[in-house]
Amino acid sequence: MISLAKYSLWQFRDFVLERGIAIVLIGSLWGYVMFEPLRRAMGPQWTGDQTSPVWGIALQVASAVVSLSVLIAVNGIISTDRKTGYYRFLFSKPINPVVYYAQLFVVYMVGVLVAMLILSGLLRTMFPAFSIRNFLLYTAIIYVAMGGIGFFLSVATRFDWLTLAAVWLGSRILRDFSGAKGGWRSKAVELLPPVHKLDEMANSLIGRGTAHTSDVVWFLGYGLLFFAFGLLIIRYGSLAD
Amino acid sequence: MPCAGDHSAAPAIVIEFKNVGKTYKSLLGNSVKAVEEFSLVVAQGEILGIAGPNGAGKTTLIAMMLGYLRPTTGTVEIDGVPARHYVERNGIGYLSELVAIPPKWRAYTALVRYATLAGIPDDEIHQRVGYVIELLGLSEHRDKKVKALSKGNLQRLGLAQALLRDEKILVLDEPTHGLDPVWTQRFRDIVDGLRRPDRTILIASHNLDELQRLADRVAIIDRGRLQRLVSTGYEHAAPAMTRFRIAVARGHDLVRATFPQAEEAGRDEFDVTVHSIQELNSTLATLIGQGVLVASVVPEHSVLEQQFREAVGESS
Repeated sequence: MISLAKYSLWQFRDFVLERGIAIVLIGSLWGYVMFEPLRRAMGPQWTGDQTSPVWGIALQVASAVVSLSVLIAVNGIISTDRKTGYYRFLFSKPINPVVYYAQLFVVYMVGVLVAMLILSGLLRTMFPAFSIRNFLLYTAIIYVAMGGIGFFLSVATRFDWLTLAAVWLGSRILRDFSGAKGGWRSKAVELLPPVHKLDEMANSLIGRGTAHTSDVVWFLGYGLLFFAFGLLIIRYGSLAD
Repeated sequence: MPCAGDHSAAPAIVIEFKNVGKTYKSLLGNSVKAVEEFSLVVAQGEILGIAGPNGAGKTTLIAMMLGYLRPTTGTVEIDGVPARHYVERNGIGYLSELVAIPPKWRAYTALVRYATLAGIPDDEIHQRVGYVIELLGLSEHRDKKVKALSKGNLQRLGLAQALLRDEKILVLDEPTHGLDPVWTQRFRDIVDGLRRPDRTILIASHNLDELQRLADRVAIIDRGRLQRLVSTGYEHAAPAMTRFRIAVARGHDLVRATFPQAEEAGRDEFDVTVHSIQELNSTLATLIGQGVLVASVVPEHSVLEQQFREAVGESS
């Protein structure tokens, strides 16, 4: 356990070099390309506060960057080791794979939060009313929700980022088309990830610093449940299959 | 009735495969039996070789021993506990057939990472890493990225990480794969040096000569089944060793006179057939007594080679 805790520094270093820098670059470019032309066009009318017409867009972009970052972070978190065979030397050492990957999930969460801290600092130069604290809180919730499902898919499949993107997008489409129809379909879509709550959650949590407790519990519960399933598969499945 | 002394003399069983089977199933429902009804015990202090043709199930057996694969039937135990539990608690020195280390890691830092995971104390890590780098001749490659290493150097790096700790169990899967003749020989010396009464070593290899030299016993497997368990010592070798190549430095004509059936195999070399080692020795004594200077006596097939041919031939 102590050796694994020490190894978390290596895991964090890997995150920074392989994913963190990419996340910050993509997020910065996205924000710059999105808002800088608007700021120039609006000139003195640009206020960057909550009354600004682009405030809503800023929240949507911030939310999308978080989702993309989580997708990048958990992509291949376990499947890469299995596909490439890296697990062989790692787990011939006296460590428990369940604890190893659980720790990796947490370390990557810290990494995503640090990346979002940098990005939100940059965003605040354009939107002074943007709350870094609320944004990090939102990031943590989405990481657990989306990352938990991604973690499970990375254990269960070898094409996890594609599967996660399909699940995330598919859930959204199915909820849009079947959610309001009533009957068994609307009940069935309730089992899908609560992606339809994302916009509302982004607006309320990042924008105002509040969120419905039930939504937060739903997001966290959903992610944690799949995270736990993933850990169970690592424990009772085969790394080499 | 065995007395207490018998028990204390018998080496402890370290690794036990109990009726192990592994069946792979495809998505279409097809199944392939990689290992079937495999039972074997490996004693403390033993070097056990595992030999078999490609696809015989060697690597599957090792994956089950490390807990990377769950057997479909049976169990694998180390020190009386399920294999995976043992590995998680104690670790095993393991060199896999395919050395898979992230290509962006540098050789030295890769070893530091593995040493950290192996639980080597911080103040000993650099000393220990330095030792295995020196032992495996990797000093000039220590700062290279893994992707820049040649196949042989990568293999040595794989072996270096397996030797980081003073492990009680070492598992080496095709350890000389990709090594040049100099390092193949060096590797054999290293493994010889690792032999200890409290250390058990498993070596899976295609190279029968290597196993003959290093292992105490060799499990010959084919089509997932244990075909034979062969002791490599020459005390059991008599029935198998019937043909030898004798090279002489002097007395060429005398060999022909003593062994009329000897076939010339080259300059000063003869192939002779005997029915036992005793017969070989008495004949050699006669030759030497007559003034022949014998330069070498080499069996046509080693004990293991002979057994392997028979076992794999029988099963196919």
